[in-house]
Parts: sequence; structure tokens; C-alpha cells
Amino acid sequence: MKTPHSRLISPSRRSVLQVAAVAAAASLARVPAWAQAGPVRLGTLLPLTGAGGPYGPLMAKVAKAVIDEVNAAGGVRGRRLELFVEDDQTSPEAAVRAARKLIDVDKVAAIMGTWASAVTTAVAPLCWESKTFLTTTSGADSITLLPHQGYLVRTQPNTTLQGQKFGAFAMEGGTKRIFFISPQTPFVKTQLDGITTSAKKAGGEVSSLVYDDKRPSYRSEVDEILRFNPDVIIFGGYTPDTTVMLKDIFRAGYKGKKIAFGYSVNQKLIESVPAEVVEGTYTISPSTAEGSNAYARVAKLAGVTNPDPYTVQMYDQINLVILALGAGGGDMDGTTIRSNIRNVSQGANRTKVDNAVEGLKLLASNKSIDYDGASGPCDFTDIGDIIDSKFRYEQVKAGKLTLLKIG
Amino acid sequence: MGAALLQALVNGLMTGALIALPAIGFTTIFAVLRYPSFAIAAYMTIGAFAAFYVNSRFGLGIFGLLLAAAVVAGAVGYVAEQLTLSPLRPAGALTVAIGSIALNIVLENIVRFGFGNDLRGFALPIYPDLRVGTTRVGAQQLQNLAFAVAVMAGTFAFLRFTRFGRAMRAVADNADLARLKGIDPKRVASVTVVLGGAMAGLGGVLLGLDSSIDPLMGYRVLLSVFAAAVLGGLGSIPGAVVGALAIGIAEELSLLVVPATYRGAIAFFAILLMLTFRPRGLLGERAT
Repeated sequence: MKTPHSRLISPSRRSVLQVAAVAAAASLARVPAWAQAGPVRLGTLLPLTGAGGPYGPLMAKVAKAVIDEVNAAGGVRGRRLELFVEDDQTSPEAAVRAARKLIDVDKVAAIMGTWASAVTTAVAPLCWESKTFLTTTSGADSITLLPHQGYLVRTQPNTTLQGQKFGAFAMEGGTKRIFFISPQTPFVKTQLDGITTSAKKAGGEVSSLVYDDKRPSYRSEVDEILRFNPDVIIFGGYTPDTTVMLKDIFRAGYKGKKIAFGYSVNQKLIESVPAEVVEGTYTISPSTAEGSNAYARVAKLAGVTNPDPYTVQMYDQINLVILALGAGGGDMDGTTIRSNIRNVSQGANRTKVDNAVEGLKLLASNKSIDYDGASGPCDFTDIGDIIDSKFRYEQVKAGKLTLLKIG
Repeated sequence: MGAALLQALVNGLMTGALIALPAIGFTTIFAVLRYPSFAIAAYMTIGAFAAFYVNSRFGLGIFGLLLAAAVVAGAVGYVAEQLTLSPLRPAGALTVAIGSIALNIVLENIVRFGFGNDLRGFALPIYPDLRVGTTRVGAQQLQNLAFAVAVMAGTFAFLRFTRFGRAMRAVADNADLARLKGIDPKRVASVTVVLGGAMAGLGGVLLGLDSSIDPLMGYRVLLSVFAAAVLGGLGSIPGAVVGALAIGIAEELSLLVVPATYRGAIAFFAILLMLTFRPRGLLGERAT
């Protein structure tokens, strides 16, 4: 009953096996082109508009530049990278919509760069539910405490770490007694805990006062502070209340050390009060690893001389994600990034790298690597917090903020 | 404890002196025009910015600053009243009060548009406090207290001993009767808002000397000013001063027992007590 053309409809078992064998051989062979499994998809969710608008566009530019570099050098494990950039509008609602698109439609392995803490908090559950890796520049302590199952790291120091830095710096030079003052902020407790930890370690004593930030004067608060007889006063507030506090503390004749956040005692504040009120005050702010090779690379990729901390962190995040994918041992997905991220970011006796292209080469020759980036060492705790970060220490000298050190 | 108590009392007087002047302005407007003007906050801000302008532009000292603040804030008070609040008056006090809240926000934003959101300060020196025994007394605050007392005395004398002052009090007591006696209520209303605005403007300068100058500075103390006027008895000028000092002292004393975060609630707790047990305030209404 067989007719010649019936083979077309019902091929013999032998011919099927032959075709299959050829196909299998082809897939095993090393093929230089990367058309095989399609590109590896990565997403950024950035504040291109809204309150974070000044930062998002430059972050996107740097992310794109890193992707291009890696693709030009041969991709990751033979596969090309494809970047999807979405705008979170600095709004959790818009961010959730954009994250859904990145996860469900674009099927990205990682979402990187989220900026506002509210945005990160909103999209984090979508990420860990779908096993998409999330890297963020948000600082609120609560973020890494979410049940993210390891699918999250951040490059921004949390407020506990900032507190520890304040405490450690305050204890320098034989200090014994620290007084911490702050208005009611979401991070006053974590900050105080950080300061206390550092101070206790160095044998210091800490007391604190939480004030109402809308008062025209703080005379009685200052009396309470001075009754403690502090060597150092740490200012946890924002610019308006810190201005009033600095004046009242000056009036009260306090001569000891003063330390404040860089975002509070800024050039604006310095210009708005008589020089002697703020002279000598120290400021601390999270810093980039200015002067490092990685920082110079970011500056070049971004096309600006002094890239901001978020652009710098974006650079580190995308490099880390690419290296984690390049370290192998699984599919090109969020779970692989989760398993590998600490294998490429930290550890003793590893070769230091500061960019993905170089790191991928080392990984390919079976070397273990430790990425140290443009924002700092980029080492993470088990819950995804940054272990150490560079801070910028400045002092008001002759009415100008003068850099003391970065460390 | 005794030293701490004395210090808190002194601090309270200083804090109270800061809000006494705007409280006088607030209560004067209430006495004559029968509505609570929340635009007082904006007049304070405008006074402070006017003073800041002449200070940074012409380098005037404190008296020049006070004069500029009084003139500009008074003028703005007059114009704003004529354009916005005066037409609302027939609709009742509540409407004018709500209108004054709106006016306040508009004026603050005009200041913000003109000067930006930055913090500013007068180019005047800040002096360390004097020490009297164990008690700390601020030279600047003493000066503020003296200004407040002087302005208060002047206002009081104006109302008591001048013909126009008497006319204002007549309108405050009984507007209809005053009109029958030939007193022009419009003129009285105009002078009242100029006076109220000027008073608030002066308060704004003192506040700016003590803290810093920004578009929301008046708004931040508005409720304390309101509380002082209510506590002293709405419509009573000595009451406003007594109320302001009482609130200042209560707030500072409270720090000895209550954490500083809750300090802001003390004034309002005092209002609740006062309204419950003595609704017309410490010095009653119309004690002038």
C-alpha cells in the first residue's frame, strides 16, 4: 500500500534517528555565533522620572555601556546579553507594573538598580516569587529583612552600618561620651543601635534624645544634652532642625566635637548660619570609591567627571550579576545568580577584579574572583546587606566642607 | 533639680517671647474682625524675608530689619485682606477663617517662588549665652523679650490712649453701636489688619534670629501662636502675651518629665484643659 510520497507523511524510524543524531552533534559542537539559545535577558528598573529623575537616566546609560562591553568581548558563557530598561517613575504603583512586564513578558533573570525604598519594597515580592534576582540602591533597613530567600542584595549601606561608622568615627581621639540627637525618623532606632555598638566596643558611653523637629528653639533640649557632659554630639536630623540645634548648642557654649550627616550639614546650611556656629563640624556620608580604577571606568562610561553614588552602584550591580551568571553551574537565571553572587563578590585569596569582562576571562580559566567595585568592596551578608562600604569624612573649615578622608 | 527648674523657667520665658508678638497680631485681628486669621503664619514669613532682603542687600542692623518687616508685612496684610478676605466676611467667620488658611498657603508659595526653598539666616552675629549663677541666659533671647515687651506696651498704649485705638476697641466691643457713633468700620478693619500683619512680621524677624528663615517658618509655629491666643483668651492682648509665656514655660517645664518628642502636644493639652474649665481663657475676652 506504500506509495513513494507516503514517506513524507510517515518517515521511517531510521531516518528520524539520523536527523536527531545530526542535530545533537551540531548542538554539542562549539559554534562561535550566539544564536543557539537566544540572549540572556537582564532588566533595570530605574527612576527615569519622578523624585529620582536626576539619577535614573545616567544609571541606565552606564548599565547599557557595561552590557555593550561584555557583548563586544564575547558575552557570558557564549551567550549575548540583552538589556531591558524600565521606568519606575519613583512610584511603587508604576514600579510594580513595570516589574510585572520585565518578569512576565521579557523574562529577565535579574532586575537591577531600584532606587526608592518604597519601590524596592513593592517589587521585591514579585522578584522572589518568580525567582528573579533583585539588586537595589535603597537604604531602608527593612528591605533586607524581607523574606526574599536570597534573591536580593543591595549596594547602599543601611542605616545600621551608617550608625556604626558614626560611632566609630566619634570614638576616635580619646572620646568617652557620645550624645546622639535626632528627630523622629524611620531610622532613628537602627542608627542609634549602630552608634551604640561601635561606641561600646571602644569603651564609650552613649545617650540620646529624640526631639520634635518643628520647634523654633531647643534651649531645654540643649540643657538636657549638656547635662550628660558629652565629648561628641552626633546630629541625626535634617537641615532645618539641625540649623536651629547648632545655633542653640553654640549659644550654650558647647566646645566639643560635632558630627552630622553630609545631607544635613551641607553647603547651604553652612552659608545660612554665622561661621562660628558650624565651624569644625564633621560630616559623614556614604561614598563612592573615588580614586579607584573602577570609579574612573564609571566616569568614562557615564561621560561625567564625578558620577553620583547611585550611578556607581548601578555599575557594580550589573557587573556582579554578569559575573554571577558567568560563574556557571546552572541555567542563566535568577537562581544561578543567587547561588553565585557571593562566590564572585567576596572571599579570601581570590583574584580581585573591578569589571565583568576581565572577571569573565578569569572565570573561564577556572580562577576564583573577588569583585571590588566603584562603590566599595561589594561584599554581602547572608541577608544581602553590604558588609562594608566607603564613607566620606569631611569637616567644615573656614566655611567650606573639606575632605578629610574616604574610608 | 532646682537649677534645672529655674533654667526651664527662663527658657520658657524666652520661647514664649518668640510667639507673643504674632499672638498679639492674631488676637487683635480676632478682637476687631471676629475671625481667626491663619494667614498670620505667612505674614511672619513675609516679615522675616523682608528683613532678610534689607539685611543682605543693604546691611541694615536689627532696628532696620524690624522696621522693614513691620512695613512690608503690614502692607501685605492690608492688600491681602482687601483682595481676598474682606469680600468673604459677609459669609461668616468660618468662611473667612478657611479663606485665611488658603491665603496663607498661597502667600507662602509666593515667597517660595521668589526666594526658593533654601534655608537662610541674617548676617548678624550670634552671641554665646550669659551665665547667671548656674542659669544660662541668652543675650539674643533677652533682646527678643525686650522687643516683645516694648511692642506690646506700644500696642497697648495705642489702643488705650489714642482716639483711633479707642475706635478699634469700640468696634471690638460692639460693631453696630460703633457704626451708629460714626466710626467707619472699614477704616478700623484696615488699620487692624495692618497692625496684625506688622506684629506678625516683627515676630517673624525674632523667630528668624533664633532659628532660620525659610518659607514654612511661620507655619511651623502657627499652632503655638493659636494656642497662646486661645489660652490667654481670644481677643485679649495681655491675654495673648500671658498665654504665650504660659505655653512657653509649660513646654519647657514638661521636658523635665516628658521625652522631648512629645513636647509639641503640651500646648494643645493646655488648650483642651482651658477650653474645658475656662472657655474664655486666662484673661477672659476683651480684657483690653
